[in-house]
Amino acid sequence: MDAFVIFFTRYLPAFADGFLITAGVAALAAPAALIWAIVLIIPRLAQWTWASRLVDAYVEVMRNSPLLVQMYLLYFGLPLLGLFWSSIVCGVIAIASQHGAFLSEILRSGIQSLSQRQWEAGSAIGMRRFAVIRLVILPQAFIKVLPALGNQLIVLVKDTSLVSAIGVMDLTLTGKMTIERSGASFEAFIAVAFFYLILTSTLGLVLRIIEVRAARRYG
Amino acid sequence: MFPVLQSNLPYLLQGAVYTVILSAIVVSCGTALGVGIGVLASVGGAILRSIITAYIFLFRGVPVLVIMFLGFYSFPALGLRLDAYTAVAISMIVYVGAFVAEATRGAIAGVPTGQTEAAKSLGMRKGKMMREIVLPQAMRLVIAPVLNISLMAIKQTSYASIVGAWELSFAAREVVERTLAAFQIFLGVMLIYFIICYPLSLAARALDKRLAFDS
Amino acid sequence: MNQAAAPISQSDDIVAIRGLRKSYSTLEVLKGIDISVKRGEVVVILGPSGSGKSTMLRCVNFLENFDQGTITVEGRPVGYKMVNGTRRPVSEVDNASLRQHVGMVFQSYNLFPHRTVLQNVMMGPVKVKGMDNSKARDIAMKLLAKVGMEHKADAYPGRLSGGQQQRVAIARALAMEPSVMLFDEVTSALDPELVGEVLKVMRELAEEGMTMIVVTHEMGFARGVADRVVFMDGGVVVEQGPPEEIMTNPQTDRFRGFLSRHLSHEG
Ligand SMILES: Nc1ncnc2c1ncn2[C@@H]1O[C@H](COP(=O)(O)OP(=O)(O)O)[C@@H](O)[C@H]1O
Ligand SMILES: [Mg+2]
Repeated sequence: MDAFVIFFTRYLPAFADGFLITAGVAALAAPAALIWAIVLIIPRLAQWTWASRLVDAYVEVMRNSPLLVQMYLLYFGLPLLGLFWSSIVCGVIAIASQHGAFLSEILRSGIQSLSQRQWEAGSAIGMRRFAVIRLVILPQAFIKVLPALGNQLIVLVKDTSLVSAIGVMDLTLTGKMTIERSGASFEAFIAVAFFYLILTSTLGLVLRIIEVRAARRYG
Repeated sequence: MFPVLQSNLPYLLQGAVYTVILSAIVVSCGTALGVGIGVLASVGGAILRSIITAYIFLFRGVPVLVIMFLGFYSFPALGLRLDAYTAVAISMIVYVGAFVAEATRGAIAGVPTGQTEAAKSLGMRKGKMMREIVLPQAMRLVIAPVLNISLMAIKQTSYASIVGAWELSFAAREVVERTLAAFQIFLGVMLIYFIICYPLSLAARALDKRLAFDS
Repeated sequence: MNQAAAPISQSDDIVAIRGLRKSYSTLEVLKGIDISVKRGEVVVILGPSGSGKSTMLRCVNFLENFDQGTITVEGRPVGYKMVNGTRRPVSEVDNASLRQHVGMVFQSYNLFPHRTVLQNVMMGPVKVKGMDNSKARDIAMKLLAKVGMEHKADAYPGRLSGGQQQRVAIARALAMEPSVMLFDEVTSALDPELVGEVLKVMRELAEEGMTMIVVTHEMGFARGVADRVVFMDGGVVVEQGPPEEIMTNPQTDRFRGFLSRHLSHEG
């Protein structure tokens, strides 16, 4: 017990820093991924055939290859193009581009599951296509897929740990360094796990509240 | 057209073999472990159930990379000398097990109560009801989620390279460090992963639609 | 099982419900029900929705626990027994063995979707009684013929109409050779044109002397087949008696109102 206390008081500042970096990366990547996801479904909604096919191909590649390799591609590739972006920026872009693809799939399935009747109801009262999409389709699709979106965002938070592989001093890398310095692998793991669980379960809780609210308002 | 990729392809494919083997071990053992735990969670007592809930909560809430580090550093701390592969494989099996256990538990809970009531009404006892009525139906419901979890796990085997296990991603980094041809190599490697994952991905989607019982 | 040691009831009641009470938290659903059913008797339970008919029926094979009162099936206590003056739940084994004698048919059929029609009917004899396959198959085929479903023996339930599924469900329950059959609104989920084929099977069963408790809204069935009609409302038995008596000459306003609403629907 004492060993635990000593360990935590000694390394707490480092873990707090790591926690802030992880939370920061997540706070940048999550909105970016959501915006990217919405951009990605526009071609389909607008029925731009070629652009939709391109998006489909992009989504398939993202879904079927590891985020780590995508991150390496940016981190080691961009400098060859003369772009010397920081590892945090590369990490955020990589996370947003993979999770944006996953999120857009989720949004798309939500839109598809809405019945044709919604469209017809919208057009019957004389709304233009984009108005129907904005006022009728998107809000309903959004509510329907909230649980799936939420799960994906939690996966996103966990995936921020990959920025440690390109040298960002996040929670995971802090944990690794601490183990190497102190040899206290269990203590470090407990500390790291604790901070990640705070992030993922707080996010889970907030999402659950939003779900309940949304269901009450529109359900 | 891609000279660096071409000349290094045999080396990368060797890495891919390691990736496939690691994936196969992790997916098969993780699924078996997870299904077992999911069933236990559905038949066991309150204490067992809360232990399993804690396990699922912990392992689903923490990045797999962190679990890998735990495995990599803590087995030696316990006096066990394991190579990086074994440490990674064990960590990932336990990790995948948590996801499969949750899916299994959900699938079992998803079998309609009418089914268990009908079985009870025939005079069937709990164990037999699980084997004859609930599990066969739950296993159908669990196939699609397990395929998706497997897909996730295959991609995550690439993180093994971070803790020092040599496989496709590790090989890719070695080649890039030597040749600096980041685009050729990493895009090529993404394509190799794609070839491994895409069939599973298609199967998952097809099953998602097909496996529900007509009612 | 150990029939000789089981307490023998005074009468030849197959099912005896005494002072049955049950609440869902604060809502009292059954407020002291007494119903007994003799061998070969067909009792039809009528009553508005929410009056506790399903709950009562489900208590008889202990799919539902209850707070007070006793139920016996062939003299064997259901769910609870008295040990040194206190009421104790019986074991899971005892519940299971009791349920072998009580056939139940549900509104939603509840056939096992992963098994064929024949396998559904064989399930009880083979998996519960441990009967060998060929003997169980003979019994199952006979029962399927009886409900007019032998031509679909190898089909999966998902391919059948509601009426066909319900007839298979009846055969599945009969395969256990129960002493009493419970039917809970078994035609309510069916399209109108399919109701007749299921009622016909039930009528034939009644004629063969099967003991039955039938919850239904089919007034014609009650009038034509029931030996006794029980009218429930608000968790109590309001009236009971032979259908020709109480359905033509109801004694209470509640039953009269119920009848007029339902008979006008039929006409
Ligand atoms: N599981 C349950 N939890 C709470 N209330 C229930 C439950 N099942 C039934 N009830 C309530 O008990 C009452 C009687 O239900 P039920 O026996 O199904 O009536 P009936 O079959 O006559 O329509 C209803 O008010 C119903 O809402
Ligand atoms: Mg009912």
